[in-house]
Amino acid sequence: MIVQSALAGIVLAFNRVVIYYFALLNGVYVILFLISLFEVVRFVKRTFFSDYEQILRSDMTWPISVIVPAHNEARTIVETIRSLLNVNYGQFEVIVVNDGSTDDTLRRLIETFDLKRTDKIYRRTLPTGPVRALYGALEIPNLLVVDKERSGKADALNAGINVSRYPLYCSVDADSVIEENALLRVVKPFMEHPEEMVAVGGIVRIVNGCEVREGWVARIGLPRRPLPIFQVVEYLRAFLSGRIGWSTLRSLLIISGAFGLYRKSEVIAVGGYDRLSETEDLQLVLKLHESLRRKGRRYRIVFVPDPVCWTEVPTTFRVLARQRNRWHRGLLQSLWRHRKMILRPRYGVIGTLALPYFVVFETLGPFIEILGYVMVALSWFLGLLNTDFFLLFMIFAIFFGVFLSVAAVLLEEISFRRYPGWEHLAILVIVAVVENFGYRQILSLLKVKAFWDFLLRRGAWGRMEREGFRPAPPPEPRPTRS
Amino acid sequence: MHEVLIALILGTGLLLAGLTMLIAGNKTSREVREALDRRRRSLLEPAVFQYAQATGHRSIHDYLPKPLSRRDRRLTERILLDAARIVKGEARDRVTAAFEALGSVRAAIQGLRSHRWWRRAEAAERLGLMRSRTAVDPLVAAMNDPEEEVRIRAARALGIVRGNTSIRPLVRALADPSRWSAIRVAEILISVGDEAVEELLLAYDGLPHHARVSVLDVLGRIRTLKAVPLMRRSLKDPHPDLRARAAHGLGRIGDPAFADDLLAALRDPEWPMRAMVAKALGRTQAKPAIPALCEALKDREWWVRANAGEALRALGPEGRDALIRMLDADDTYARHQAVAQLEEGRIIDEYVADLGSADPARREAAVRFVEKIIALRRVDRLTQQSIENTQEAVRSALAQILRRSPQEGS
Repeated sequence: MIVQSALAGIVLAFNRVVIYYFALLNGVYVILFLISLFEVVRFVKRTFFSDYEQILRSDMTWPISVIVPAHNEARTIVETIRSLLNVNYGQFEVIVVNDGSTDDTLRRLIETFDLKRTDKIYRRTLPTGPVRALYGALEIPNLLVVDKERSGKADALNAGINVSRYPLYCSVDADSVIEENALLRVVKPFMEHPEEMVAVGGIVRIVNGCEVREGWVARIGLPRRPLPIFQVVEYLRAFLSGRIGWSTLRSLLIISGAFGLYRKSEVIAVGGYDRLSETEDLQLVLKLHESLRRKGRRYRIVFVPDPVCWTEVPTTFRVLARQRNRWHRGLLQSLWRHRKMILRPRYGVIGTLALPYFVVFETLGPFIEILGYVMVALSWFLGLLNTDFFLLFMIFAIFFGVFLSVAAVLLEEISFRRYPGWEHLAILVIVAVVENFGYRQILSLLKVKAFWDFLLRRGAWGRMEREGFRPAPPPEPRPTRS
Repeated sequence: MHEVLIALILGTGLLLAGLTMLIAGNKTSREVREALDRRRRSLLEPAVFQYAQATGHRSIHDYLPKPLSRRDRRLTERILLDAARIVKGEARDRVTAAFEALGSVRAAIQGLRSHRWWRRAEAAERLGLMRSRTAVDPLVAAMNDPEEEVRIRAARALGIVRGNTSIRPLVRALADPSRWSAIRVAEILISVGDEAVEELLLAYDGLPHHARVSVLDVLGRIRTLKAVPLMRRSLKDPHPDLRARAAHGLGRIGDPAFADDLLAALRDPEWPMRAMVAKALGRTQAKPAIPALCEALKDREWWVRANAGEALRALGPEGRDALIRMLDADDTYARHQAVAQLEEGRIIDEYVADLGSADPARREAAVRFVEKIIALRRVDRLTQQSIENTQEAVRSALAQILRRSPQEGS
């Protein structure tokens, strides 16, 4: 009897915690959405196409080194590099770092671009694993391939930084294609705030379901399989509602590794990418924040919503689980490494708001959600479950989840409209509803599992199984170029 | 509590329905508007182009349907704005006259007084395309707008409209703290060309540091000899970026007479300055600079070495000979840079081709050259040629040399 009453007390107390937690979390989401809505409208109003023409023509535009780390990317690497070589930008170089691929990545590059070994000498500013050879093409002077022994994506990026020539570098994933004007758009914040700008992140969209021709997204479409399409809505929510909001609050913690532009000198000053990190992109941004805040420097790390990078996402549950496990372990690892920044006013909004948010909601959230389901079962077992209340609460939670996803679709519709058809819009709205029944719960479970793996120091990168880009059929539709 | 939850569910449900309807409504209205515009535009476009290509004094109104609806006026203006980007000569004047006749210029000038900054910015952008001289004074006034985006678009519009009164505010706008603004104003002044030079020279001493950098850049890109005294003086400025910009400017103007000034500057303590001077020396085509550029190949900074190497390559046969001599330099970096430049300039390929020459002297010179490259262990290009060269004689000769030659450090 005593045990039962103690259990009942615990259950009721937990329920109260869940309600407060739910209110607080969704309050934060609503605030982020409202900030994003305001910012997106402002961004669209102040975007004039003539600006990009001027950036393109100007001699004073910064040249960019585009660094593409590649490990076993034979299926997509040629399309990716073609798209990069054809971007609309003045002066740039493309550096592919073949990170010990065991497939045909290097051979495909050598054959397609007629690469030859070259004797370029460079300074090893950042320590990296052994570089086997450099390859260049006389006909394509702005393409360089670094062939190195396998030592991870972070190390490959560091090797790319070492051989790069220009003051800004852009990291692009080998399974991604960027839009023709993406570099012009992503460099603009550097032109506007040259002294302060340190890094700029662009939006990442999902290429599964799109048709790709010669490195360009020729026709935008939505994936047909359920997992990738859930991720479309998830990415829209994360980028359009989340990152814009955090960026406006000057506390952007994540610049996607798939597409980000950095000031090289600042990255070198913090020692480059961390080879031991699971999520080198998050870790780098946190290192930059910590170092620059400690020095008391005025700086900006921002997200801009219109330079688009299209990337491939997992299509099977197994691969998705591995990817999310790594992401979450990386988050935990980074939060642990930078724990001294948390709740320290010295680190501004990052220390007092962004990092606590990630600890309380991103790290603990999945536990509370999963525990919530356990408590419901326990409450029912103990006869404490108020079925009416539970059902009403669940309906409200689902409605709110749907509201947040549909709000992200609204942001997309009033701003960038990359998904042009009515059927796209209808599918996105339907998926925004359906994802609340299973997909989001599975993601929470994966995060709990990742936490456990983190505690046990288990884990590895895992293999991303690529399907390759879907080729566009002849006859030619009009290429989509921003 | 149940009532609160029910109210919350109803509220969220209504909000959700509202959002969905907003998305659908927004998309519907946009698509309907676009479809109607497309249809109407296809009717108006031929009339507008007929007007633009005509030579008489008839107004745009004579070509358009009467009465002109608001939609037609808006679409006509849009067609004219598109045309304004491409037409030239008399057609451009007619397009400007059409904007004035339609009242678009007056409306855009009013738009400069809007309380929404993006409307003001858009109005300034339109006025630039309309090229009406009546817009000069309002645009000059817009150069004092509190919003940077408006100022910069007004500056750009002024650069296009080009009244004499427009240059001074543009030069002042170079002092805008944003690099982006400075870049855009600089581009405008460059497009203005010689007309802007006097104002730039007069304003230079009164401008802040970053604006002076822009002035030197603009003058260099206009390539005006009137700016040479200022640039020579700026080569000795205490600020390294001003010195570098002056060197860059002199290089752009490209007169070999500047070689002495630039050669003195090649000893600058700041490496970006030395790199810029090396590049400028290549552009001036000053042959007396060759020994100093060879020395710069030994600089500890890669950019200086690379620019010096490129400059030597740009100096023609004498520069190329100097690069070949540098293969015997006592400095490893200089030797490697020389090889890199010889490879990039395809000079290595030329010597390799000589291995198959019928002239024994040329063949002997080619062998000596190839052996030097091999001694430096920069054999990738040679190895590649030994496999891919189209002439069998060259391939076998090269393969033979590669086999027998010792390499530096081996």
